Amino acid sequence: MIEFSRFELANGLKVLVHEDRSTPMVAMDVLYNVGSRDELPSKTGFAHLFEHLMFSGSTNIDDFDDIIQNAGGESNAFTNSDITNFYDIVPAENMETVFWLESDRMLSLNFDEKALAVQRKVVVEEFKETCLNQPYGDVWHHLAELAYTVHPYRWPTIGKVPKHVEDATMDDVKDFFYKYYRPNNAILVVAGNTTLAQVEALSQKWFGDIPPGKIPKRQIPTEPKQLNFNQRINEAQVPVDALFLAFHAPGRADEDYYAADILSDILCNGPSSRLYRKLYKEQKLFTSIDAYVTGNIDPGLLIIEGKPATGVTIETAEAAIWQELEAIKAEGISEAELQKHKNKIESTLCFSEANVLNKAINLAFFELLGDAQLINEEVNFYQRLQPSDVDKMARKVLTKNNCSELRYQATMMTR
Amino acid sequence: MPNRKISPKISEDYQISLTAPQVLTLDNGIPVYEISMGTQDVLKVELVFFAGRPYEHKKLVGRATTAMLKEGTQHTSAADLAEKVDFYGGTISTPVNLDSINVVLYCLTKHFGSLLPLFAEMIYQPAFLESELRSYVKNNQQRVIVDLTKNDVVAYRKITEFIYGKDHPYGYNSFPETYGDLERSDLEQHHKDYFTSDNCKIFLSGRSNRETLPLLNQYFGQEKSKKKTPPTYFAPKVELPQRVNLSLPNSLQTAIRVGRGLFDKKHPDFNGFYMLNMILGGFFGSRLMTNIREEKGYTYNIFSMVDTMSRDGYFYIGTEVGNQVVAPTIKEIYAEIEELQRTKVSAEELKMTRNYVLGNTLTMLDGAFNTMDLVKTLILEDIPLQQFEALIHTVKHIDAATIRNLAQKYLNREDLWEVIVGP
Repeated sequence: MIEFSRFELANGLKVLVHEDRSTPMVAMDVLYNVGSRDELPSKTGFAHLFEHLMFSGSTNIDDFDDIIQNAGGESNAFTNSDITNFYDIVPAENMETVFWLESDRMLSLNFDEKALAVQRKVVVEEFKETCLNQPYGDVWHHLAELAYTVHPYRWPTIGKVPKHVEDATMDDVKDFFYKYYRPNNAILVVAGNTTLAQVEALSQKWFGDIPPGKIPKRQIPTEPKQLNFNQRINEAQVPVDALFLAFHAPGRADEDYYAADILSDILCNGPSSRLYRKLYKEQKLFTSIDAYVTGNIDPGLLIIEGKPATGVTIETAEAAIWQELEAIKAEGISEAELQKHKNKIESTLCFSEANVLNKAINLAFFELLGDAQLINEEVNFYQRLQPSDVDKMARKVLTKNNCSELRYQATMMTR
Repeated sequence: MPNRKISPKISEDYQISLTAPQVLTLDNGIPVYEISMGTQDVLKVELVFFAGRPYEHKKLVGRATTAMLKEGTQHTSAADLAEKVDFYGGTISTPVNLDSINVVLYCLTKHFGSLLPLFAEMIYQPAFLESELRSYVKNNQQRVIVDLTKNDVVAYRKITEFIYGKDHPYGYNSFPETYGDLERSDLEQHHKDYFTSDNCKIFLSGRSNRETLPLLNQYFGQEKSKKKTPPTYFAPKVELPQRVNLSLPNSLQTAIRVGRGLFDKKHPDFNGFYMLNMILGGFFGSRLMTNIREEKGYTYNIFSMVDTMSRDGYFYIGTEVGNQVVAPTIKEIYAEIEELQRTKVSAEELKMTRNYVLGNTLTMLDGAFNTMDLVKTLILEDIPLQQFEALIHTVKHIDAATIRNLAQKYLNREDLWEVIVGP
């Protein structure tokens, strides 16, 4: 149970406070409601590039990192399709410093041309390091493009191509900032060794005078129902074949999300799950196999991925997966199997609440989903699921016509 | 309106203290170190045997023996074991360490009693089935083949191999054939020799209750067994450091590693070197990151690190850069090193680094799991807990001249290996 209080400033900034006296630290999370789904198809990767620029100086502060490090703290951020999330952790004594830092960069950046030039290069190297120079590193480029036809989830957060990042201009940066980085498009969470009264006073002091903006209404096309099986065979410089199956599944904002999530666990999370047991351990058709949901806010994907064992053709491996999928659809799952996965989830959620920074990040995300109180309901959403809910989800999601398949065919000679 | 030109006052006076664990002894003499605190009813119990690489009679046998514990016991099949552990929401992990074998159970405190008997059975009565070993070998062979196409992995493997030697416990690398050579009898032998009560320590953290310790004593405190005398000979270190270029065709980036062998945590220069490393490449505000990423944009990430084992340690700088900026990056790396050897670090930079390290230490000591990780490292490397206070003292009081002297002593180009893996 994570207890929290909530208030809103006149400029529309939502503030949540979670008091935890067991830690000497304070964590601050600032979530901006903008992600790569808000980008133009011709300017992808921009939300993430922008995240880098948030560390390159604001109106009154040249060096964000120097100051937080001086205060004994650390800061980082991540961007995904849905959100851009910044977080800081400092000794509780120095909490006010992060109020100063985060509010100054919400007020305005210093829009430095040199910083933009450097961060474009840094992000292009990141693009290479995480996608282009890794075996299977471009999997999301292929899979997203295959599974989505109109929704902006069809490009990955890092961007479609490095060129989009290289072409970003200062005008793009300014435009994006004033459009999205406004208090009425953000959620601030303070968690740790502090009090509601302190946070109220400091929020008002540092964030109170930041003017709100006019946030553009999100107009994202709904992805139409997939009607036919998609397949892409990618001959690639990789050492062994790999297989990815992507099925459209409910997003985080959908009440059916939990059934889809637990379905992916039943398929392949933990050493007793179905695909792990049957295809990896018993039939030894794969040397690695996994299943998970992408957890996007708009309808996302349930992914099954694996690498066939040496001497096993990708067709054989794939047929074996389908056989398991047909079995779960035909026979359903038992009460005991469902209970096992509920227990695992209970455990995972309990462990995740042992860390104050995690709690801050999760509170902000659930507030964005509609209500931070959902974080405390989550375990019940899973507990309430019946086998029939999961069976229904399996029959709805795990069909050939709802599937996009990506194969990597290894062209690299090994040894 | 707040005055945004002026920083709020920063306190540098946080209390850093290491919570000492409670130390108890099971009936058979196994020591249990316990830290019980926190807000969640969760437990982590970690069994450690000194049975890592320095104790192996064949390469990889330590790692394979540990991994195979999860694949069935003499009484319970791997499938049943997995089913039961999953049912109680437990997680068993076997993290890889060079010196020791660690087996960890994470669970809700309320399920500890249901999981512990299985955990004990798994550790003391493994089946080591031939068929399970063959799949383990096959899966890992494929994993190694994939890993060898990543230039950061190749560069890391090579530099540690050069520093220690290719047959040294800390230096050897695994290849498909190293896995292929593993026999079932090797695992049985290793298990018999070193998974003994006199070679074990237990670390318990999270929030325990009054049943936790009696349960540990019931399942781990009764059997007594003696370990084999461990080997003392290690292959000698090799050649003088040199620059080594390796080719991985079609790489879009080049991996660079620059480093050397160093010392364990007991060495009188360890604490000082810890601070030197921080300034050079130990955090975001370090010199390498500031210059090579934030000013030049050559890379997404560059770092330096010190790692220690029970009998040794090493230092290295690592980065992946665009192929066209390899030479400038190497030039800048040495420019930063030479600057540290030539000029004393400014009071301002030293203060920032110190404050960052102290605050970061506070985070590293936040909660039972984090605290125990630090305590465990000290205990396993046979270092008194007071050494931690000495480290904090050094962080707070080291002067710029000492840092410069350490750079002059340990970061000379002729002592550094360079491994460059690119197209």
